[in-house]
Amino acid sequence: MATKRQTGRTTRRPGSARGATGRKLRTRRATAPAIEPAPVVSANGQGEAAADEAEVSAYLFNGDVEPMAPPVEPAPPRKRRKTPSRPRRKPKIEVPEPEPTDFSPDEAPREDEAAEAGLDPSLRRQFIQEIEALVGRLQALSPGYATSLSPERIFELIQEGADALPSPLRRGLLDKVRHFFGDDLLDVDTWKGMWYVLNSSLQFQADALKRRMTGEYETDEWGLDREYLDAVKPFADFMYKTYWRVEMSGLEHVPESGRTLLVSNHSGQLPFDGMMLATGIMNEHPAKRLVRTLYATWFPTLPFISDFLTKCGQVLATDDNGLRLLEQDELVAVFPEGYKGVGKLFKDRYRLARFGRGGFVRMALRTGAPLVPVAVVGAEETYISLAKSSAMARLTGFPYFPISPTFPWLGLLGFVPLPTKWYIDIGEPIPTDQYGPRAASNLMLVSQLTDQVRNVVQEMIYARLAKRRSIFTG
Amino acid sequence: MAEHKPTARTGRRVVLVTGVAGEWGARVASRLIDQPELHVIGLDASPPQAEIKGLDFIQADLHNPALGDLLKAEKPDTVVHLHFVEHTRPSEADFEANVMGTMKFLGAVAEAGVRKAVLKSSTMVYGAQPTNSLYLREDHPLHAPKTYGYLRDLVEIEAFCNGLMRQVPDLLLTVLRFAHIVGPKCSTPMTRFLREDDALTLLGFDPMMQVIHDQDVVGALVHAVLHDAPGVFNVAAEGAMPLWKLMGLAGKLPLPVLHPLAYASVSLLGPRYAPIDLDYLRYPCVGDLHKMRTELGFTPQYSSEETLREFASQNRLRRYIPESLTRQQEEERLRETIERRQRARAAADGATPAAAPATPRRARRTRSRQAA
Repeated sequence: MATKRQTGRTTRRPGSARGATGRKLRTRRATAPAIEPAPVVSANGQGEAAADEAEVSAYLFNGDVEPMAPPVEPAPPRKRRKTPSRPRRKPKIEVPEPEPTDFSPDEAPREDEAAEAGLDPSLRRQFIQEIEALVGRLQALSPGYATSLSPERIFELIQEGADALPSPLRRGLLDKVRHFFGDDLLDVDTWKGMWYVLNSSLQFQADALKRRMTGEYETDEWGLDREYLDAVKPFADFMYKTYWRVEMSGLEHVPESGRTLLVSNHSGQLPFDGMMLATGIMNEHPAKRLVRTLYATWFPTLPFISDFLTKCGQVLATDDNGLRLLEQDELVAVFPEGYKGVGKLFKDRYRLARFGRGGFVRMALRTGAPLVPVAVVGAEETYISLAKSSAMARLTGFPYFPISPTFPWLGLLGFVPLPTKWYIDIGEPIPTDQYGPRAASNLMLVSQLTDQVRNVVQEMIYARLAKRRSIFTG
Repeated sequence: MAEHKPTARTGRRVVLVTGVAGEWGARVASRLIDQPELHVIGLDASPPQAEIKGLDFIQADLHNPALGDLLKAEKPDTVVHLHFVEHTRPSEADFEANVMGTMKFLGAVAEAGVRKAVLKSSTMVYGAQPTNSLYLREDHPLHAPKTYGYLRDLVEIEAFCNGLMRQVPDLLLTVLRFAHIVGPKCSTPMTRFLREDDALTLLGFDPMMQVIHDQDVVGALVHAVLHDAPGVFNVAAEGAMPLWKLMGLAGKLPLPVLHPLAYASVSLLGPRYAPIDLDYLRYPCVGDLHKMRTELGFTPQYSSEETLREFASQNRLRRYIPESLTRQQEEERLRETIERRQRARAAADGATPAAAPATPRRARRTRSRQAA
């Protein structure tokens, strides 16, 4: 069917733009009962070796009708669907097996045939008027567009195409159209099938719930629960693909296996950057590695969030945890700026804060893990923090309390981040295994490496900012 | 293994177990008796409820000033200190028994030149805190909450032991910190929690937990007696798991309550309503088992899942045959009675070949009991 369509496109309408709307419309039409025949015929026609010229021409024609519709919004097909529904039902009931000419690749020939049978000529007129109105609208919308086709010509072509088809094919199509409609819904098997589908899905849900309640699920030694992760991942995917349209670069710098320490800047009031980094690597890295982000000590005290982080395989940021993870050859991500970075004011955006006390470098040195710098751009603008209130922070127990144009004022609405465009750039790894595990106590080396990583991340951020034209569209 | 000091009398190594009237003392003592090269002396203020066959029982309180003389006279090679009163409300009397008793006893042990001492503690002494690493090493500071009596006592005892290790380097002191003990028969904070009608948990918190089977507790203590491994060790079954999974496997539905509400109600009603301090249901307090595997060389026989599944099945069974345990005990008791009567009849007949091995030990026990 696709090949047929393509031939139609290439021969008759070279160069004409058939946008996504046209394709979308076609699928719409496929679902509308009356228009169903089009794809079926082509499939059948292909199956039958007798893909004679006439049939092809019918298709070419079909391919030509379609482009008329694209620029017009969904309204016309809906209208068309309504109009022919009456005659369509009539032949089914009154004329169980009409003469072979009954075939219709579109609703139009049915109309034709209905007219021939003397059923409703007024409908045909109405249809022609509608098409004319449509063409008029089309021309009003795109003045340069001209068509040689008139409604009468369309009917002729449809008739030609229908006549060219062998009669068994036509009959089969007719049956298809009929069944599509009434019979399926009246059939007991339809409802049985629906019941089975519903029942099995319910059973699956109940089983899953039972398994959760009886503890029959797997967690790893860090509390990672793959089922839970799969359940919450769609949200992360939505934020990643649709909301922030994250673009990742430098994924080749993340090794397929082995211990690695990702070092990223931290921004955006809420730690969504960690979530996006992990989502990106899980979606786009060839090895689909799970990132173990080391999170701050405030999160374990929060209900649901501590649970959420643990089940997603994230781990509290302590030296022991980090070392243990790296020794297990995990991919660990750290945000050494901590609260100072994530709670930055809007005016300080993209200016890196102090990179902790170099704990992450000691971790890498002791395990020989390479340091991979990561720059997240776009997260800084998701919330606009104008000021920080230390009094409110003390009152609520938050590590910092941002005041944004929306935050405390609009309540929960204030938590909705802005849909900025994000870039996550991963830089070249900085190897640490040449220093040996004892170098972790070399304070000079630790501070030197800390500064080196910080500078690399800062440079990567500036490089990206220089390329970025707009906060929202990138 | 280092050379042990066999006593002149029996030619066997003497092991002294305190707290044999309690559950752990009794179980460890009866397991040690099975070792042919050991001579086991039991020490407690009251005789064990069920007679332990082959135990050389001495009735004495840990506060008895003559304890040092007893140790010098009996010359035990190893002492296993299992006398511990598990109480939730902090009380002076229990503090006296637990902490002061341990101090006096271990003081006497050090004085008498005993080679090795084994103690039972809990990983709960680390305290559940938001800053905890997931796997705590043995050198992690002890921050257990002081609201629960037994935890306070354990922390005090551990602090004392820590000092003792430095003061008396000759004494091989082994402290085993067990994870939450779960067993179908035993009563521990965790089993009480799992047997409660409403197991109160905190909504939105699901910390990692570690358990150990009660038989592995006894096994680890016996292992520590038989092998020399001075130091502090976390002992737990393989496979840490989240609390909800643990409860699911143990056949218990959690009752989640908002945490400020739960804390308020427990502080209002008292710790009796929460067998485990709520912090342990909020933050992880899990021991790193690396040292157990390498230095102690102990491997628990039950995994966490096996432990909990067994607990759940026994719990369910108890609903239908609640007297099964007592019946088993009664059967055992009757068998012992039959044996005893046969022995007595044989003694009366004058021919004593069958009962010969049992007699001397029985005689000594009665003697020592009189002495005490």
